[in-house]
Amino acid sequence: MQGIRVFPLEKGLLISNVMQRKCIFTALKSAKHAQVVAKSARAFSVCAQCKQKQQPVQNIFDRKAKKMQRNRTALMEDYEVYQYIRDKVGYSLADRIRDIKRKFNVVVDLGCGRGHIGSSMDPDTVGTLIQCEMAEMVLAQACKNEDIKTFSVVADEEYLPFKENSLDLVVSGLSLHWVNDLPGTFKQIQRSLKPDGAFLGTVFGGETLYELRCSLQLAEIEREGGFGPHISPFVEPIDIGALLDRAGFNLVTMDTEEINIAYPSMFEVMEDLKGMGENNCAWNRKSHIQRDTLIAADAIYREMYGLEDGNLPATFQIIHFIGWKPHPSQKKPAKRGSATVSIKDIDKLDQIIKEHELQTKQDTEKKKSEKTEKSKDDKNNEPS
Amino acid sequence: MKLLTHNMLTSNIIKGVTKGFPLQIAATDIKVTEVDFNPDFISRMISKVEWPALCEAAESIGHLGDLPKELDPDYEKNEEFLKKAHHVLLEVEIKEGELICPETGRKFPVTNGIPNMLLNEDEVGK
Repeated sequence: MQGIRVFPLEKGLLISNVMQRKCIFTALKSAKHAQVVAKSARAFSVCAQCKQKQQPVQNIFDRKAKKMQRNRTALMEDYEVYQYIRDKVGYSLADRIRDIKRKFNVVVDLGCGRGHIGSSMDPDTVGTLIQCEMAEMVLAQACKNEDIKTFSVVADEEYLPFKENSLDLVVSGLSLHWVNDLPGTFKQIQRSLKPDGAFLGTVFGGETLYELRCSLQLAEIEREGGFGPHISPFVEPIDIGALLDRAGFNLVTMDTEEINIAYPSMFEVMEDLKGMGENNCAWNRKSHIQRDTLIAADAIYREMYGLEDGNLPATFQIIHFIGWKPHPSQKKPAKRGSATVSIKDIDKLDQIIKEHELQTKQDTEKKKSEKTEKSKDDKNNEPS
Repeated sequence: MKLLTHNMLTSNIIKGVTKGFPLQIAATDIKVTEVDFNPDFISRMISKVEWPALCEAAESIGHLGDLPKELDPDYEKNEEFLKKAHHVLLEVEIKEGELICPETGRKFPVTNGIPNMLLNEDEVGK
């Protein structure tokens, strides 16, 4: 093993990346009889391949800008008015936590905002809550549940400062859509969870604000001859499943729901988005949009999507997901060849169920009679 | 920031840090408040807490008192012990100060009882 570490330095290969080191190990494990020279060449080539396969960490969002935008919402006098979506989703998340028949002792709320989930939590299901939020002014305004011990930490969702295997439950309500490295974040969450811990969250889906997106695009094409991205890219429901799987979560389940909210005009939509702290912070955002483009977009929005009462609908697609950290107690797929019933007998399903019920009844009665016999024996054998 | 929270935090997020736990505390303002004693909660929390790290942290801020450094196997029934643990875990709060990474010496500020674990751009890396 010493040879592996010394050898790359001799050849002048500065291998600092852990991923590359792992490649050398795997290459050398498989190349048992290879020559030293061949090993170096193969290791290098494997490394090069790995480098290409290694997906670069996406850097789409300006996290600094997002923090500033969120802190700015805290300075508004009427910041509470804009919290309706997060309040609703927070309540439904707390409901889902209650559906899990377990008490979670240490719960972390990632990107807690103003404590929307925490305020609806039940002290029967949650022991301690640690609220994490990137924007310190928003965190200071977070409402704390009187019945649950709540602690606050200013932390970035992409860099979790928690120990491995220390948390029982991680929840995240509508804040992961501004995270650059979603696979990395999911992996960190999986590491900090205890085995059989859960990760429950909601995130905005691809259909969110499609009306606004389309109206702005059409207006810009019409007025300026081209269009720039104004709505941030969202994760698709299919991708969430794949991401959770890759991060090492078991028993992943997801569902989507759409919330439709009616606004008087497109400008109110944008104002409310700003109040929520959801303004665009992608690096490729345009810093300026022309006034006539905006007015044209409003007219297009009304024309294409307007409701009968004159209001404009805005769609928010919410993806709810849950994943569990693997634990031996979790159900695994049955072993091959362990089937007791054939699917060919599906037309006789009722009969099979009746027979199974009879069998289990007989088994339990047998066990009961065995128990009573045992206790009788014990009584007889007891010293008088 | 209560010592219970401190026991959960690490600085492993900094580039190159492998053993970022426990964080050292340099407190400038410590407050002791009275919190309702709940023996069940405390005994459950003790099983999740890393005891030596907790004692080290409490000692560094001078609030260890006569808390034993080693856990008794049946601590759940010892009410005296649970009360002392309750005091150290939940009643001592660090309002202002710094958390220091044991490997790099990087300081994380604690303002108004809330630790700030955000990294600067140059420290970020995986």
